[in-house]
Amino acid sequence: MAVVETYAGYGPIQAQRFSPYADNGGSIVAIAGEDFAVIGSDTRLTVGYAINTREQNKLFRLSDKTVLGSCGCWCDVLTLTRVLNARMMMYNHEHQKVMGTQAVAQLLSTMLYYKRFFPYYVSNILAGLDENGKGAVYHYDPVGHYERNYYYAGGASSALLQPFLDNQVGLKNMENVTKEIISLEKAVAVVKDAFISAAEREIHTGDAIMINIIDKNGIREEKFALRKD
Amino acid sequence: MIHRSALRLIKMFLTRSEYDRGVNTFSPEGRLFQVEYAIEAIKLGSTAIGICTNEGVVLAVEKRITSPLMEPTTIEKIVEVDKHIGCAVSGLIADSRTMVDRARLECQNHWFSYNEKMSVESVAQAVSNLAIQFGDSDDDGGAMSRPFGVAILFAGCDEKGPQLFHMDPSGTFVQFDAKAIGSGSEGAQQSLQEQYHKSMTLKEALTSALTILKQVMEEKLSSTNVEVVTVTPQKFFHMYSKDEVEEVIKDIS
Repeated sequence: MAVVETYAGYGPIQAQRFSPYADNGGSIVAIAGEDFAVIGSDTRLTVGYAINTREQNKLFRLSDKTVLGSCGCWCDVLTLTRVLNARMMMYNHEHQKVMGTQAVAQLLSTMLYYKRFFPYYVSNILAGLDENGKGAVYHYDPVGHYERNYYYAGGASSALLQPFLDNQVGLKNMENVTKEIISLEKAVAVVKDAFISAAEREIHTGDAIMINIIDKNGIREEKFALRKD
Repeated sequence: MIHRSALRLIKMFLTRSEYDRGVNTFSPEGRLFQVEYAIEAIKLGSTAIGICTNEGVVLAVEKRITSPLMEPTTIEKIVEVDKHIGCAVSGLIADSRTMVDRARLECQNHWFSYNEKMSVESVAQAVSNLAIQFGDSDDDGGAMSRPFGVAILFAGCDEKGPQLFHMDPSGTFVQFDAKAIGSGSEGAQQSLQEQYHKSMTLKEALTSALTILKQVMEEKLSSTNVEVVTVTPQKFFHMYSKDEVEEVIKDIS
């Protein structure tokens, strides 16, 4: 057995383990329609029971057609989005065109996987219009697995938000319903309702939501208040 | 009357000097002789023609069969870079392999990072970056000691539609509707200018390319001494088989 040296009566020295990650909470919801995509995130930033700020936007406009919602370890979010913006700018200069949503989706996956063994501790949802102008939502795990969906929830409240979306957007477990593609008004309403419910039961989500609506005319922004306790 | 390219050669020899030696040394008149000589080297290569139409791009090259004992199919002057891009080369073919390798690598890298096809212009840009990495600085181990002795025609179909680019050993690349490179290029380019029109069909371009090739070739054109490729939005890179080439040849006088 290794000999542990004692230090002046204070007992053995405990090595301070380096903990590089923080969980700063936050949630994201995105819904894709026929020719639009809606993405919303709350604006609360937390550490444990403390609130760092009540007005932190977690949506990042990457282009006129693409918005990234990102939450988790906030310092990782900041770095990831800065690198992503830089990569998109370089692509823009190299290929003389704006990166499309599908290309951004693949690039984000590649960037996340490149840090496979020291990952960005981040929950990402990408929303936008694809090359045909159709709404697109991509969701990610922290190491780059990604999938295209019609709707998805991520972040601290994902376990509360996703079943609600499954029911209201995916129309799961519903009888006598006609499955039709969701309208913009319905999508925005569902995003708001989902967050109201999450803020009711989950303390890392709240204060307000920022909603971005992406369609052929560009991106519109909307703010909606949530409970602040 | 002395031929124009011969005149240029005479002038080049007259101005030969110590500036000939360093590949990165400008002459007092502001010229890089080795690059200019490399461009001359292309004119010794076999003729290659590219024509871009709204339906797709045609590439046609002559194969110089210097011996009846030679196996003609092993001369490869048109190669696939990616499913949607092909290129025809003229000049020092061995040099072209390095450049084609780079083009293929860049295409796959692009697909890996962005899950989309690389545009023809971007491929030309990437290969151009390689083409100008010559010189005697030895800090970069992989650098070439001299300019590449090849000209390349990049043909492909990307989101902008069918595209044709030409690149010379200086790394300069320019988009063309129709372009000829190699020994017969001067005559062929003249004929292309006369025959090309914007509403050309792919079939017309094929016939036109082979007719012009036939005119400038020293040997008699046949299905063994030409290589033909089309790149279209539907079938992408398509190398013509011997039978398909014969089908096209029988239409031309």
